[in-house]
Amino acid sequence: MTERMTRRDALGATLLALAAGPVRVEVARDGTVTAYTAKVELGQGAMTELTMAVAEELRVPVSRVKLVMGDTARCPDDGGTWASLTTPEAVPLLRQAAAEKRGGAVTPAAEWKVMGTPVRDLRGLAIVTGRQQYPSDLRMEGMLYARAARPPHYRAKLSKAGEARGVRILKDADLCAAVSADPVEAKRAAAALQCEWEPIPFPVPPSDRAALMRSFKENSTPPVENMKTRYPPLLRRGDAHAAWGAARAEDRHSSRYFLPFITHVPMEPRAALAVWRDGALEVRSGTQAPYAVRAELSRALGVAEEKIRVMALGPGGGFGGKQRAEVEIEAARLARLAGAPVLLQWSREEEFTCAYHRPAALVEIDSSAAGGRLETWIHRNYNAGAPGLMTPYDTAHISCEFHRAPSPVRQGSYRSLAAVSNTFARESHVDEWAARLKQDPLEFRLRNVADERLRAVLERLRKVPGGLACTIEKQARIALRAQVEVQGRLIRVKRLVYAGDYGAIVNPLNLRKQIEGALVQGLGGALFEEVLFEGTEQKTRLLSSYRVPRLSDTPPVDVELIDRRDIASAGAGEAAITLVAPAIANAVFAATGRRLRELPLRL
Amino acid sequence: MAVLTLSVNGEPRSANIKTGTTLLEFLHDYLEMTGTRCGCEEGTCGACTVHLDGRATRSCMITAEACAGKRVATVEGLAADGRLHAVQQAFLSFEAFQCGFCTPGMIMEAAALLNDRKPLTEARVRLFMEGHVCRCGMYNDIVKAVLSAAKEPKHD
Repeated sequence: MTERMTRRDALGATLLALAAGPVRVEVARDGTVTAYTAKVELGQGAMTELTMAVAEELRVPVSRVKLVMGDTARCPDDGGTWASLTTPEAVPLLRQAAAEKRGGAVTPAAEWKVMGTPVRDLRGLAIVTGRQQYPSDLRMEGMLYARAARPPHYRAKLSKAGEARGVRILKDADLCAAVSADPVEAKRAAAALQCEWEPIPFPVPPSDRAALMRSFKENSTPPVENMKTRYPPLLRRGDAHAAWGAARAEDRHSSRYFLPFITHVPMEPRAALAVWRDGALEVRSGTQAPYAVRAELSRALGVAEEKIRVMALGPGGGFGGKQRAEVEIEAARLARLAGAPVLLQWSREEEFTCAYHRPAALVEIDSSAAGGRLETWIHRNYNAGAPGLMTPYDTAHISCEFHRAPSPVRQGSYRSLAAVSNTFARESHVDEWAARLKQDPLEFRLRNVADERLRAVLERLRKVPGGLACTIEKQARIALRAQVEVQGRLIRVKRLVYAGDYGAIVNPLNLRKQIEGALVQGLGGALFEEVLFEGTEQKTRLLSSYRVPRLSDTPPVDVELIDRRDIASAGAGEAAITLVAPAIANAVFAATGRRLRELPLRL
Repeated sequence: MAVLTLSVNGEPRSANIKTGTTLLEFLHDYLEMTGTRCGCEEGTCGACTVHLDGRATRSCMITAEACAGKRVATVEGLAADGRLHAVQQAFLSFEAFQCGFCTPGMIMEAAALLNDRKPLTEARVRLFMEGHVCRCGMYNDIVKAVLSAAKEPKHD
């Protein structure tokens, strides 16, 4: 059973917390430690890892530390829970604060007692007993349940709101929802609403690959160098365009890769609970980015950020899909109209059709090689983004470019974002070179990789068969062998063997889980996932029409890790997903001689 | 609206519900037994799996009224006398979850499978767990956990 919070309790706590301002680490008289972070637990192990960091520095057991997460009124702004930054950024912040509280310096990795050990997920017991609370479980005294009516079209204007007898219908611009104190009544009433919608056509059909690629190229903006941003859109060495022009035709190789729109499918469709009082707003949801959502709410509702509190409750999966204030803004608008707390719950269909997708990508690579060495590397990513853009290969002339382009569908972050498209293109292309030069794919990579850590990781897979891919992603050095079986047009992955160097390993148990989970998720994008559109509609609307990896798709996975206690820890939520598609594509090429350059891979 | 009483984890539980309310809605939305979770509402993800007269059942695919007179068991009632069920213990030991949203449904499926008279083979575990989605991708650990639980002495 949910413990019902009363509105007075909740708002009282808000006002107290707003007055106090953020604290990082507190030690109570009884020795209990409370630490605060805006990071959110999504199942990726942030709660356990950050608790370990505080316990380590305060020399207390993990059980003595309580971590308060994702509450803008109580937690310092640590940025969103994204980009594998919890380990490299938030862990050092909490260690530093806890070490200061202890009155000492941060403990070197060689002396770790808690960090570096396999600490179990602190939510484990709550999860297996069903007590773990998710945003869709939120309840509050006097709360109304809301369900929205949605158009059959991907984009549409509400021309006439539907009407219902006996149930309250709220309308605010294009948002039309049924609200009720009865959850099922709200759901059924919203589903029965006969709204009239005026469809807004797509500027380019999103599922027409040729048209989409043409549109990306024709409407793109070339990048401008900016090394101050996290993902620089232009990375150069030497003069790649001149070197490419000067290279002999027989030393050149050009190819083009495509990735369609895919989507996150977190197990929990999102929900948000919004409460207004005296012009102040409090929103609870499963967002990955409470501060970013607060800023969005402020802009959308015209309320100062100081009067908004966002409390992020660990959701049932995020994968980069719960970073923007969609359900939160809608819940806040409905609660304002209703004059009562409102819980807006999205259905699975809304999760598919109303949330943003991973960007489609066109990647073009022009390269040249001489004497078994890559000489020139021109890599252009259209639309998807700059993460993972830089080549790990030691090449004289490099121009890695992200060309921004307009997208016909809402798109946003996704586990590792564009690093999947960039790495798929790069690692396929490198494999094409190895084949063309009749060299072993691993030897060819070693010949072109200078980074000693990546070389060491590759060496671990020297004797392992299978299609190969490697990269440096989010500071991790990683490589993957995929062993596949091709039967007719069917590609079956029989085994994945992975090696990685993530610097000093913070939690070996969780690191292995993050790697395995990212590899399994990567199987979907590599082999079957694609969101489809037709006319003015998104055709992919239900789980039964969108295949995600299941048990029978999952091969045995071997993970070998190099623990470098002398090197800062890298984040691990994302990196592994980037290698799945190229390793499989390279294995398929080895097995069939067919080079597949578009995802999902289809023979 | 009408009051419906169902036997849930051995106790009579009532709610004033609309006709056509699913067992999932009855449990999660009316009784606020949040261990039974809504993932897809079309029977494809398995997150809402409960036991109906001992058989694993997707609670989103059956009306609450159709469960009158039957025994409904949810993850909340699985631990007995303060002791975790062997499947719960195994999921914990293998840490066969990440976000944990799908876990209760998986555990209920596996618990029903363990009570089945047929001998439990890996192939059978794979067959039954195939209908459950874990988007975090912990499938290999899930199979290990269920097989490990099957080796424990049975309890009802």
